[in-house]
Amino acid sequence: MPSSQAPSIAGTALDPTAVRPEIADAEIFRIERGELRSKLTALRAEGCSMLLDIGAVDYLAREPRFDVVYHLLALPQKPAGVAEVGVPRRVRVLVGVPTQHPQLASIVDLWPNADWAEREIYDLYGIVFEGHPSLRRIQMPHDWEGHPLRKDYPLRGPAREATPRPAFALKSNVPAGAPPDGKVAAALQKQIARARGQAGPGEKGP
Amino acid sequence: MSVAPLGVTALDVVEVKGNSMTLSMGPQHPSTHGVLQVVLEVSGEIVEKAEMEIGYLHTGIEKSAENLFWTQAGTVIERMDYLSPLGNAMAYVLAVEQLLGVTDRIPERAQSIRVLLCELTRIASHCVWLGTGGIDLGAISTFFYAFDIREDILDLIEQSGGARMHPNYLRIGGINGDLPDGFLARLDALIEKFPSRMRELRALLQNNPILRDRMIDVGIVGSKAAIEWGLTGPALRASGVGYDVRKAFPYSGYQKYSFDVPIRDDGDAYARFLVRLDEMDEAMRIVSQVRKELDLPGPIMIDDPKIAQPPKETIALSMEALIHHFKIVSESFRVPPGDVYQAIESPRGELGYYIVSNGDNRPYRVRTRPPSLYNLQSLKLLAPGNLIADLVVMIGSLDPVFGEVDR
Repeated sequence: MPSSQAPSIAGTALDPTAVRPEIADAEIFRIERGELRSKLTALRAEGCSMLLDIGAVDYLAREPRFDVVYHLLALPQKPAGVAEVGVPRRVRVLVGVPTQHPQLASIVDLWPNADWAEREIYDLYGIVFEGHPSLRRIQMPHDWEGHPLRKDYPLRGPAREATPRPAFALKSNVPAGAPPDGKVAAALQKQIARARGQAGPGEKGP
Repeated sequence: MSVAPLGVTALDVVEVKGNSMTLSMGPQHPSTHGVLQVVLEVSGEIVEKAEMEIGYLHTGIEKSAENLFWTQAGTVIERMDYLSPLGNAMAYVLAVEQLLGVTDRIPERAQSIRVLLCELTRIASHCVWLGTGGIDLGAISTFFYAFDIREDILDLIEQSGGARMHPNYLRIGGINGDLPDGFLARLDALIEKFPSRMRELRALLQNNPILRDRMIDVGIVGSKAAIEWGLTGPALRASGVGYDVRKAFPYSGYQKYSFDVPIRDDGDAYARFLVRLDEMDEAMRIVSQVRKELDLPGPIMIDDPKIAQPPKETIALSMEALIHHFKIVSESFRVPPGDVYQAIESPRGELGYYIVSNGDNRPYRVRTRPPSLYNLQSLKLLAPGNLIADLVVMIGSLDPVFGEVDR
């Protein structure tokens, strides 16, 4: 259930990555779950030495539901000056992960910095990385239930979403001429009394 | 043997086993520059293993951004890296402009002002790092010298965008209003004052024997390890790899300006310190080049009423302007479906945004590539074998910002 605060106004694309405009930001590969490690090992051997980031996206209505996105950068392994680095190459690898068994092979042994990135995806999306040395929550508290960045997770959290929002007396939803009530009325009375130079019943002195 | 109570309350003893001890440093320890907990296994004073707990500042900014309009999301995104808010805004607006396909239509003056403010923010951010890093090492007066420069820059940012820290000045399609009167005069004053201030700072710090003793050969990362651990920014360039997004993938007209990328080969805390100091000088070099372009007036927002809000004064006069204004404010605009990765060189390294649009008026996914997260993670590699006291230097030299690490 999308959050009540996010009503959609447009018809939406189910798989935006398939209809993306021509943007030359990276070389893109979409691969199957099983070939993840072999593909990344091959890319690493080709010179993509740095793992920049691992992200995930939840396409709720699509199957496979999740995309895990690996951003790689080809840099030389040796020390290199600005000129030698030249124009590095960006590579993006997208892997679909289904709802039923959201599991993917871990790549911590290929790049040590995948550790926190995979833990974050596990924490916020519930995708399990098999072979990760210690897969536990990283951003949310350890006893948290649910995975907040999933699209079916309410924006304000399940507990708070159930409680109604307080009805504030906004200027716009009070009809003109309606007498104020409750705290607003009390505050108004106080203000009026102060303006007239009289101390209200509960006030001490000027 | 019972454990003697420690004087420092921020270091809590968790466990004692023979000669080794497990300590918890933070999350309220002052030198962690925010809220970081480091669980240390120490043998005597030597750290054997450091495991970090993050997430104390997790505020769900990515989730919030998915529930805001394209135009509104910039406000929360600026709050990720709170020392370089304009860097965050820059990466976000560039990414959305790519999806909209309007990158080539952004006016030159807007691009120049964006570069100007990003470079000023880089100096301001490095000033905070220098000031707090100085305090970590006992050099308290550094803080005042560094924050003097930073105040001048924050004044400029306040004048241009209306707020010191999070001005939301960079907008999709350009910037929000032209620079006000008097801005350029104050900028000139800063450009003139800056070199002497930097000379003072360098005289105070660079050859200071205490600082050198504390920083040289502490927290060494080799170039291979730096690449493997995904270090970017000054931390990577201090290890001898000259990767700078401004040079490798120029954006917003960086290719027009001549500047050098400082590189050091030592890979220790002192090298990172020198790289950042040099970067401040280079940033000011870019600022003074941009300054020369700002005398000529020009448009500062894209000429597209679907994206740019009409100028305030036209709203009362033109029905069309009123309608466009109403549409943009009440339901923003729709961005063609697609995904894009856009990175910039933030003061901490490669700050990237992977943004997915499904054709709606809100971003479908905003994934940040936070440089601080990956830089901080390398502490697992740096810390073992060093003294506990050096841990403070290492954290300081990596310059993490927890608004960005935890988001």
